[in-house]
Amino acid sequence: MTAMARTAPPRTAGPTMPGSGRRGSGHRRRSVKPWNQRLAPYLFVLPNMLIFGLFVIYPAINNFNISLYDSGNGRDFTYVGGSNYQEMLSESEFWSAARHTVIFAVCFVTLTTVVSIGLALLLNQKIKGRAFFRTVFFLPVVISPVVVGLIWGWIFERKNGLLNSLLGGAGLGQPGWLVNSTLAMAVVIFVGLWLHVGFYILIVLAGLQGIDSTYYEAARMDGASGWQQLRLITLPLLRPTTMVVVILSLINGFQAFDYIWTLTGGGPVGGTTLMVQYIYEHAFQSPVQYGAAAAAAVVLFCAVFALTVINYLYNQRKESA
Amino acid sequence: MRSARISLTVTVTAAAITLLASSCAPGSSSDGGDTKQADDKKLTYLYFTDGPDEQATRDLIDEFEKKTGAKVNLQIVPFDNLEQRLQARLSGNNAPDVARLTDITPFRTDLLDLNKFQKGALNGKFLKGADSYITGKSGELLAVPSDLTMNGPLINVDQFKKAGVPLPDPKQPWTWDDMVKDAKKVQAANKTQNAIAMDVSGHRFSTMLSQYGTDFFDKTGKKPGLDTGKATAAVKRFAELNASGTMPKDLWLQAGTKYKAANEIFLAQQTPVYLSGNWQVSAFAKDAKFTWAAAPNPCQKTCGGFPGGKFMASFKQSKHQKLAAEFIAFMNSKASQEKLAKDANFLPTRKDLISSGVKYPKRDADMQTFLDDVKRTPQTAYASAYSPAFGATADASVKELAKVLAGDSSPKEAVEAIRAEAQKALKDAQ
Repeated sequence: MTAMARTAPPRTAGPTMPGSGRRGSGHRRRSVKPWNQRLAPYLFVLPNMLIFGLFVIYPAINNFNISLYDSGNGRDFTYVGGSNYQEMLSESEFWSAARHTVIFAVCFVTLTTVVSIGLALLLNQKIKGRAFFRTVFFLPVVISPVVVGLIWGWIFERKNGLLNSLLGGAGLGQPGWLVNSTLAMAVVIFVGLWLHVGFYILIVLAGLQGIDSTYYEAARMDGASGWQQLRLITLPLLRPTTMVVVILSLINGFQAFDYIWTLTGGGPVGGTTLMVQYIYEHAFQSPVQYGAAAAAAVVLFCAVFALTVINYLYNQRKESA
Repeated sequence: MRSARISLTVTVTAAAITLLASSCAPGSSSDGGDTKQADDKKLTYLYFTDGPDEQATRDLIDEFEKKTGAKVNLQIVPFDNLEQRLQARLSGNNAPDVARLTDITPFRTDLLDLNKFQKGALNGKFLKGADSYITGKSGELLAVPSDLTMNGPLINVDQFKKAGVPLPDPKQPWTWDDMVKDAKKVQAANKTQNAIAMDVSGHRFSTMLSQYGTDFFDKTGKKPGLDTGKATAAVKRFAELNASGTMPKDLWLQAGTKYKAANEIFLAQQTPVYLSGNWQVSAFAKDAKFTWAAAPNPCQKTCGGFPGGKFMASFKQSKHQKLAAEFIAFMNSKASQEKLAKDANFLPTRKDLISSGVKYPKRDADMQTFLDDVKRTPQTAYASAYSPAFGATADASVKELAKVLAGDSSPKEAVEAIRAEAQKALKDAQ
């Protein structure tokens, strides 16, 4: 403990930001730049912000507006106030989709965070074929989610699927992976992890490479074991990166749809129907209910936003503690 | 101080955008009834293809272009995207002049009254069962049934022969008991995974309901018609067949809420009987590596199959309404429908063509089996199939049947849930 106490790094890593530390000096002079220089940064981001505003922010806000109307065709709208929300909250299908979404998101975020950190630690070692393994883990990220759903659907099919052929050959039976709600949920979580973990590995790898190697050298000189280095140097310094992974995977988990739709169609018996599928079915399947779909989208947005803020504040508090 | 300024800016911007977005009701309410008409002779035809019908349609378009000097732009879209694309185009006031549809219900208020231009050529010329569906509140002709589909079984003749089971007689339909017994014998002799497979579709299950003597809706198509006793018997039989492995239970459970055809199981020779419909005839003529045939629908309380089909319609937003109506009339003339039926193995919808009959150059015997079932199908099945609430109720029935197969509900509970959904769908469709 004494050795590690001496070598434990500060809670934040990376270089000091220019200008930081000057606050509170009381004599900071405000530099007066010409107006065109002050305007320039805003002009650089303006095209991006315009596109973002037009195609993301405006539709998102307009979605809230639509949630207050009833429409079966996207052209004729009748104002109904909060009744879309009222009706949605009284539907058992909504609560079922919400429950499945929470189960999926919790498992997906936990597994993604743990597995991506674990694999990134392995891939950060000087092992033979490191570039090959990094490519292998990243490869699913560039495959179309629809194709991913179809491929895993064939693999997990009960009677003629690849997995059950192997299990059956080994005398282990033929589980109904996609016909049992619990197994089907496990399958979609696994496929989600397989599909996305490569992206999160990259983020963690970037975080790992940002940790100053002198901390490890000092720790080794003080006799710290590998486990102690991991626990007291790597994981604390990875906290900002871990927060990014948690937030992004949380958003990803709540938005999961495409590969699940092709893999299970939300079945069996709605066992893998998540919120986005609930929204999709209301918006695009007969009978079309744009208002109800928009209301569900608003609820999903609020849930993701609230969880992101809570997570951010929690980590901020940890940082400052 | 700085962060307070940023917060204020963000809040003001967000408030401004919110105000902008919510200052008016979304969408546009123009019905396009007085759309300014263009002089050019150009038409757009939004189309999805079943496969062999595409070339026949192109040939007919060529003929129409030569005859009228018009130019028809055939826009082929995937069936799954058709409704969404059409809704988007209507919202953008950019509707096609003509579209091929399977369900006109979501577009009823947008459709052009074809009687305004082609009453003589179109009104009253098509099968009676679709009349209430294609007729507007004030007697408008909103669409034309361009082809009829008929659900029915297809059988693997090679497997029946190997099992020594005689083929069903198209003129004297078998019963459900006969069909199940024969299919099981063939399954055992050929060691197939299943004996009977049905597409995961509420439309296909409606065939079984109709044969058990009941339908989602009554003879008007505007009131729920499901008889609890008869429907429960059908659902119970369906559940038993799946539980025993006679039918592939996994197919229904794995599909979720998506449509899933069982054609691959039939083509892989893992089921000797496949409950689908006449649209498979052309596809199987090309893809099947074994001898197969259409079989008559099994009888229970009633005989016959269950109808479906496609419609051609134009829109009030069209800038070429007269030409669009002329095109629809041409494509659904006796000669055109006969060509399309022969080339694509479609069933005709024109009364005159139904009574004169169609001699198909390919798979004529199979098509005649389906035509025989058209005659046996009760009128209530047509009323149900063409009810504006059919689509939503059929989708709900798939969910409810899956619950029964998973053991989450009883056949009676499923029937009650389907009935409640039919009631809700009728209310929504009004």
